[in-house]
Amino acid sequence: MKSIGIIALNTYREIIRDRILYGILVFAILLIGLSMALGQLSFAEQARITASFGMTGIQIGAAIVSIFLGSTLVTKEIEKKTIMTLLVRPVSRTQFLLGKSLGLIFVQVTVMGILMSVLLGIFKFMGVLIEPQAFVAIYGIFLESLVLLGVTLFFSIFATSMMVVAFALGVFLIGHWIDSLNYFVKKGQSEWIKEATQFILKATPNLERFNWRNLMIYSDPISSKMLIQASLYAMVWFVFLVALAGFIFRRRDFV
Amino acid sequence: MAILTVEDLYKSYRKGFIPRQQTVLNGVNFTLQPGTITGFLGANGAGKTTTMKCVLGLAQFHQGKVSFFEGQPLNQEVKNRIGFLPERPYFYEYLTGEEFLKFYGQLSLKMTRFDLQQRITNLLELVGLTEARHRRLRAYSKGMLQKIGFAQALVHRPDLVILDEPVSGLDPDGRMAIAELIKQVASEGAAVFFSSHLMHDTEKLCQNLIILRSGKVMYEGAMDLFLEKMGISIEIIYFENNQKKSLREDNIDSAQRKIKILMGQGASILEVRQNRKSLEEAFVQTALRGSAA
Repeated sequence: MKSIGIIALNTYREIIRDRILYGILVFAILLIGLSMALGQLSFAEQARITASFGMTGIQIGAAIVSIFLGSTLVTKEIEKKTIMTLLVRPVSRTQFLLGKSLGLIFVQVTVMGILMSVLLGIFKFMGVLIEPQAFVAIYGIFLESLVLLGVTLFFSIFATSMMVVAFALGVFLIGHWIDSLNYFVKKGQSEWIKEATQFILKATPNLERFNWRNLMIYSDPISSKMLIQASLYAMVWFVFLVALAGFIFRRRDFV
Repeated sequence: MAILTVEDLYKSYRKGFIPRQQTVLNGVNFTLQPGTITGFLGANGAGKTTTMKCVLGLAQFHQGKVSFFEGQPLNQEVKNRIGFLPERPYFYEYLTGEEFLKFYGQLSLKMTRFDLQQRITNLLELVGLTEARHRRLRAYSKGMLQKIGFAQALVHRPDLVILDEPVSGLDPDGRMAIAELIKQVASEGAAVFFSSHLMHDTEKLCQNLIILRSGKVMYEGAMDLFLEKMGISIEIIYFENNQKKSLREDNIDSAQRKIKILMGQGASILEVRQNRKSLEEAFVQTALRGSAA
């Protein structure tokens, strides 16, 4: 456990000291800022438009952190051979993966905390009432980023950084369109294509299960059952992907 | 007490677009004793780095046995007693020298915070990087990186230190500093096992030698014994065309023939002396041409 914490702390320090993170933060803050400008376009729905675009800004920021920073989490260690000096210490390969993931989760919490503060600041500036649904929506984005991190980590065990980004973006898009894709598959003619697509859809996490932005926008009530189910769904995917990554990683030669 | 015993190690990789099995290690055997410095020599592709990686668990071997400290397999406790510096290390450049050593120290040790801080201070002094302790590694020169890498391998006071090409790419000053550090570590009782292509440095530093050729150990034993076994060379120093020159012959008969030829050409023989072969000559004969020692 101690080594997981030490590696996590080092990973956190690595990313926090990297300029790329600040680029992502500035980009996400600009997106959130844009929500305020877009809100001005509507007279009646100003608060809703600002909330919707602001949350999208946070979601994109969180997804970029998981996919782009996550893609280099393990691959950089392998390419730069720093992994060799780590794994000859009393650190198992699974502990290494868990430490790296935990470090990125800390970064994700920090980034989302900053972005949420910016959005809440905008809400306050605009005189919008901050309801608990806003925090639930943010929690949903966090769960989505956790699943995306699992996906990125899994691919980074055997693919290059570029390929990892491509695969994870694919999962991100399919994961959000899963319901629409299911609809189109059912309408399809070819049985073979139907079965193949159904398999891909089943093997992809449904990221729309974490999309609670509408609850915030329309002030809908929150069901605790929905929260628990979504949290379990995210945890099961994350643990499954990290365990699978660990299983493959244990057999890998570092040449 | 054997610090490391490698028995009958076999390893092959699948390489190429159409994967083909390529055998890298072909039954490697050797043993390391405490307090010794052992040079691990071999031509490029002989299997030195692969052997080290198999020993350290970074690559899986197909057959054979690796045991540490009187028969223990590689486990967390054993890893706590091993230090490793890979070839051409790229370290965490966002860390300062001190943070870097602390990170590795915390991973390996059950030391108190105070003891670790003391150890780091001593090591930084030993490798001559006290001044640069608060500088980030991205600002370090190649020699400084090699030194901090070496300190990283020693931070937890290991009993076995494995170094892959520790002096490659360093200037003479840097090479000398690393050589001194290696001697010091061995004098404290640790076994040092390092690979190198620099024969002169290896000859000066090592008591023992392991020579690898095509994944097989060609020689394992004392350096002196190896050089004696490889025979002598006869150096002829002569004066010809107003110039002092020298040449080497492998045996007395050929040396006598050469002397006759030189004298026939009007050269003056200044000195004929019997030399032991240099490690470089002996290595070329063993590892590259394949004559058994």
